[in-house]
Amino acid sequence: MPGNLSILASAQNGVSDEDARILRGLRSGIENAYEELIDRYQGGVYGIVFRLLGNQNDASDVVQEVFLKVFRSVGSFRGQSSLKTWIYRIAVNEAHNHRRWFSRHCCREVAVEGQRADHADSLKLAADPGRSPFEQALESENRTLIEQALDRINPVFRTAVILRDIENLSYEEIADILQVSLGTVKSRILRGRDALRRELTLEHGFAEAFI
Amino acid sequence: MTCFSAKRQSTAFLDMRLRAREHARIAAHLYDCASCAAYFEQVGSLRSGLNALPGVATPPRLNTALRVLASRELQAMEEWGGSRWKRTWERWKFRLRLLIDPLTIPATGGVLSSLILFGSLAFAIDNTSQSVDYDVPLISMNDITANLVPVEFRSKEVVLTMSLDGDGHIRDYAVQDGTSSFTGNTTRLQYNNIVLPDFQGILAFDHPTNSDISIQFTPLAFRR
Repeated sequence: MPGNLSILASAQNGVSDEDARILRGLRSGIENAYEELIDRYQGGVYGIVFRLLGNQNDASDVVQEVFLKVFRSVGSFRGQSSLKTWIYRIAVNEAHNHRRWFSRHCCREVAVEGQRADHADSLKLAADPGRSPFEQALESENRTLIEQALDRINPVFRTAVILRDIENLSYEEIADILQVSLGTVKSRILRGRDALRRELTLEHGFAEAFI
Repeated sequence: MTCFSAKRQSTAFLDMRLRAREHARIAAHLYDCASCAAYFEQVGSLRSGLNALPGVATPPRLNTALRVLASRELQAMEEWGGSRWKRTWERWKFRLRLLIDPLTIPATGGVLSSLILFGSLAFAIDNTSQSVDYDVPLISMNDITANLVPVEFRSKEVVLTMSLDGDGHIRDYAVQDGTSSFTGNTTRLQYNNIVLPDFQGILAFDHPTNSDISIQFTPLAFRR
C-alpha cells in the first residue's frame, strides 16, 4: 500500500519506528493510536501553548485545535521531520495565530492574577522537606518574576527561549519546529535571554532577582 | 577575542554547543574579563531559573475534551468510508463555516434590507399607460416656471393639446381655434399668451403623464 511505503521511507528521514507505528494506527482509524498520541503529546503541547499565551482557557482551546489539525492532517504528513516536531510546529503556529487574532479583534479583560491563580492551583508543588519555607517562598517569587519578564519580551524570542530553556528541546528540533536555520535559532535564543536579563535588571535589579 | 564576539557566543557556550577549542578560547576570555564573566553568570543563572520553572499540569477536562475530539474524528472517518473527496469536502465545509459564521448576521441583515428597499420600489415602477377620468391640476401655486403659449383666439371654442414628457415638461403643443389650426403670433407674446406651468412629476399624478393632454376652454375675449 502506498501509505505504508511512504511511512517506511519517512523512517529513514525523521520518523522513528514508534512514531511510524502511531501514524499507521491513525491513518487506519485505530482508536488506541489516537489515545496514545494524546497521552504522549498533550502535556508538551499544552505546556508550550500555555507559556506562549499565558491563559489557561485559551491554551485549552488552542490545544484542541492543534490536535484536531493533527488528526485531520495525518494523511498528508510525509515524515520529513519527527512526529514530535511536527506537532509542536502546529502548536506554535496555532498559538501565534490565536494571539494575533485576539490582539486584533478582541478587547478582552485579561485577569492575569486570576489566570495565574488558576495556574498556580494546577501546579501544586509538593513540599520539599530539604528546603526551608523561606527558600521555597524565595524560589516562588523568583519564578513569578521570570514568568512576568518572559511575558514582556518579543514573542519571537520568547518562543525560542521557551522551547530551549523550558521545554529542553535541541537546537535542531527548534529549527525544525520554527522552520528556520540553526543560526537563526541561536540568534533568537541569545536575544531572548538577553532581553529577559534586561527586563529583570530594569524591574528588580538582577542581583535581587537571583540571590 | 573581543567582548562583543564572546557575548555573541554565550548561548552556544552555555548550551555546550561549541567545539572544544572555541569553548576554551571563551573560557580564557571570561577568566580575564570580569564584565563578560558577570554577564555570562547572569545569563547562566537565568537559564537555570527558566529550567527550574515547574511543569504545567494539563487540566483534566482538556484530557477528556481531546478524547471526545478523537472519537468524533474516528466516527467521521467511518462515515466518510475512507473517501478522500468526501473527507476533503468535510474539511473545507468546516473551514468555510468558520469563515462565514462571523459574517452571517451582518450579511443576513444586508440581504433583508435590500429586499425590503427594492421590494418597496418595485411598486412604483409601472410603464403601462391608461386613460384617467379625474381632474388634472394645471396650475401649482408654488410653481414659478411657466410656459408661454402665444396664441390668437378667433373662436369661443379652443382646444389646446400639449405633449408632455415623463417629467411633466411641455414638449410641444397645438391649438385648435375653431376651424383654424394652430396659430401663434410670437410678436404679440406679451398680450396673447396662455400661461401654462410645468405639470407635476410622475408620482404626483400617480400615473405617468408622458402622453398628450387636451384642454378645451372658452376664452373670455376673442378676436372676430
